[in-house]
Amino acid sequence: MPQPNGVIDLQHLTKRYGRTLAVDDLSFTVLPGHVTGFLGPNGAGKSTTMRLVLGLDAPSSGAALVNGKRYASLPRPMHEVGALLDAGAMHGGRSAFNHLLCLARTNGIGPGRVSEMLERVGLAGVAQKHVGGFSLGMKQRLGIAAALLGDPGVLMFDEPVNGLDPDGVRWIRDLMRSLAAEGRTILLSSHLMSEMALTADHIVIVGRGKLIAEETVQELTTRYPSLEDAYLALTAGSLEYGASGS
Amino acid sequence: MSVLASEWLKIRSVRSSHLTVSISLGGILLGLGLAWMAVDMYDHATPAQKPGARLAELEEVVLMVPQLCMGVLGVLATTSEYATGFIRTSLTAVPKRWPVMAGKSVVVGVIALFTGSAVIFATYFVCRALIADRFGGLYQIPFTDKLPLLTALALTVPVFALLGVGLGSILRTASGSIVVLVGAVYVVPIIVGNLPQPWSDLLGSVMIGALPHEITRDTTTNTVYGSLLPPVAAAAVLVTYALLPLLAGTWLLCRRDV
Amino acid sequence: MRMAFSSEWLKLRSVASTYYALGSAALMMLFGVGWTIYVSSLAEERGSLRAAAPEEGFLPLVQISLATIGVLAITSEHATGMIRASLTAVPSRGTLLLAKAAVVGGVTFVAAHVVLLVTYVAARLIAGDRQLGFNSTGFSDDLPLLFASGVSVTVLALVGLGLGAVTRSTAAAIVSVVAMLFVLPGIATYLPQPWNSRVASLMLPNLVPQIAGDRLSSRLGDGLLSPGVAFVALISYALVALAVGFYFLWRRDA
Ligand SMILES: Nc1ncnc2c1ncn2[C@@H]1O[C@H](COP(=O)(O)OP(=O)(O)O)[C@@H](O)[C@H]1O
Ligand SMILES: [Mg+2]
Repeated sequence: MPQPNGVIDLQHLTKRYGRTLAVDDLSFTVLPGHVTGFLGPNGAGKSTTMRLVLGLDAPSSGAALVNGKRYASLPRPMHEVGALLDAGAMHGGRSAFNHLLCLARTNGIGPGRVSEMLERVGLAGVAQKHVGGFSLGMKQRLGIAAALLGDPGVLMFDEPVNGLDPDGVRWIRDLMRSLAAEGRTILLSSHLMSEMALTADHIVIVGRGKLIAEETVQELTTRYPSLEDAYLALTAGSLEYGASGS
Repeated sequence: MSVLASEWLKIRSVRSSHLTVSISLGGILLGLGLAWMAVDMYDHATPAQKPGARLAELEEVVLMVPQLCMGVLGVLATTSEYATGFIRTSLTAVPKRWPVMAGKSVVVGVIALFTGSAVIFATYFVCRALIADRFGGLYQIPFTDKLPLLTALALTVPVFALLGVGLGSILRTASGSIVVLVGAVYVVPIIVGNLPQPWSDLLGSVMIGALPHEITRDTTTNTVYGSLLPPVAAAAVLVTYALLPLLAGTWLLCRRDV
Repeated sequence: MRMAFSSEWLKLRSVASTYYALGSAALMMLFGVGWTIYVSSLAEERGSLRAAAPEEGFLPLVQISLATIGVLAITSEHATGMIRASLTAVPSRGTLLLAKAAVVGGVTFVAAHVVLLVTYVAARLIAGDRQLGFNSTGFSDDLPLLFASGVSVTVLALVGLGLGAVTRSTAAAIVSVVAMLFVLPGIATYLPQPWNSRVASLMLPNLVPQIAGDRLSSRLGDGLLSPGVAFVALISYALVALAVGFYFLWRRDA
């Protein structure tokens, strides 16, 4: 059997934090060549799932595999998987260039590639500025540059459009689609349905850690008037934080 | 008043406050352990050794624990707001800046005063009960004679806490502030102790550790520091340790962008 | 491992706190020179005197300053959340901690010895042939104490790194280092005899004179450990702290 390439594969993935069941027996597969939208209300377990895939948190049971292997067993992981988790997670006193270079060096990536990625996300002009002074949108761009450093086949983005201006939102959308068109696997989480409708081809919906739906956008829009209606109908039973009695 | 209530809630609701107060109170257990050990040692000594057996005042030994912990509480009360960016929210809620510092100082100071007093007095009474007439009657001096010194010792704890608040608001980072606090409290006295006379006594007299003995003109204990200051001057120096960094910090807070 | 090391080296070089810590340790040279000039002038008036050697007297300043480099190497990543990016780039937590330990150890070892040696040499040059008490012995006699002092700084920095991995908090880790450096030895001194010298012999800062075969202090007298055992004990502090730090980094979710 050939090595599965560019695939994220979750097998009965479960994560418990004390009494909270954050991810509950979640199984699905993300395939290359299109953008897979990862949707769910706040607290549904999207970020936790991504941390489990990256080996940052240990699953209570089940497994998350990338290209058929556990993430922690990848020798140079940045060349296979890129991820943007929390845009604010960087040392404010470091320059954008040095921040990226710190990450790049761990995987044998040179400074030329760092400059190239800063150029690509539109931060070349502020490469030597401290990231502490960056706006949230600029940090999102820097986080995306970090994910792209190793030219990986698998990319995961956790709510990348938060804090971006309309230009930035448009830019992300085009970037996601072009990355997918290059044959990469893209898992893009969001709780914004409208944005997802314009970007994703496949949709995975979770609620309270459980899989609710795994379908193409087309399938969903034939069954419901709009993607938003589909989302609201499917997640109605699993809102953790929402207005009551609506 | 609402500033006080809000600062109190802020401090009460974070884990580090509970931790620093708990560890401070752990100083009492440490005192208990030391006293228990001393008693055991004394009772197993030969009659010939007993008259020469010496012991330091244990409440002064354990005082280091609440001093350090409450200093850190003061540092974190300010630096954690900078670290999280919460300072902007605080200053939006209370646009005038000095009341925020004043409120913080009062809350931190009162917590430290209670904690420090609890540790000093509880340790003293534990030791008094356990040690009784051992060690040459070290703990048989009437309580009323010890009261001024014990009070002055307890007062150094809020001084440390306010020093922490002041340093925190000047330096705005936990690591820098704690290192400076520790430097001022542990490193400087070591260096001063090594100085040749007359500097060792002169500078030794203004170290925080020397002040309680000078304020109360205490003669019941030996001090490793100098003892040249009259009580009023020593009290003024103690207040200065707390207020000077606090005023500098408040001034900077009012002037700087946050 | 080499790649992780080069990344950690850049991380350390690219933040201001490293330079503050190095600068604050370097103050020892300034203080040492000032101190020696001052005691030299006293010696002119009084003939000879017994002053403390500056590289011993100001050692706590270097110890606490450089220990913060070890603490911040890990706690600043936890505070900012950068640790997640680091562990995504280097999934092996042992490798990450080892790379940090190597960089922190190397930098503090070199920095501490440079500061100590410069202070030592400058003090002897300024002192000339005046009798200041600390300058009567030759360099080869002083070498063990200088080396032990420098190693103690590196050990404290690694202890800081290990405790930082355990506590994930800058304040908690620095306070723990302070406790090991000042509070616990201070309390040990006041234990009733003979426990004071027994316990004090095991305290981290007291291992330095024991390695050099000196007494602990006038109050405590000689330590109980031979130089070799004291050296092993000093190294053990770093190894134990790093092992415990690794255990916590490895077992916990990032
Ligand atoms: N480190 C953690 N410790 C405890 N609970 C957590 C932790 N991380 C997430 N949770 C809980 O797990 C659930 C899922 O959170 P998360 O994955 O962040 O959801 P989402 O990203 O979909 O909004 C929430 O109830 C959250 O409170
Ligand atoms: Mg999330």
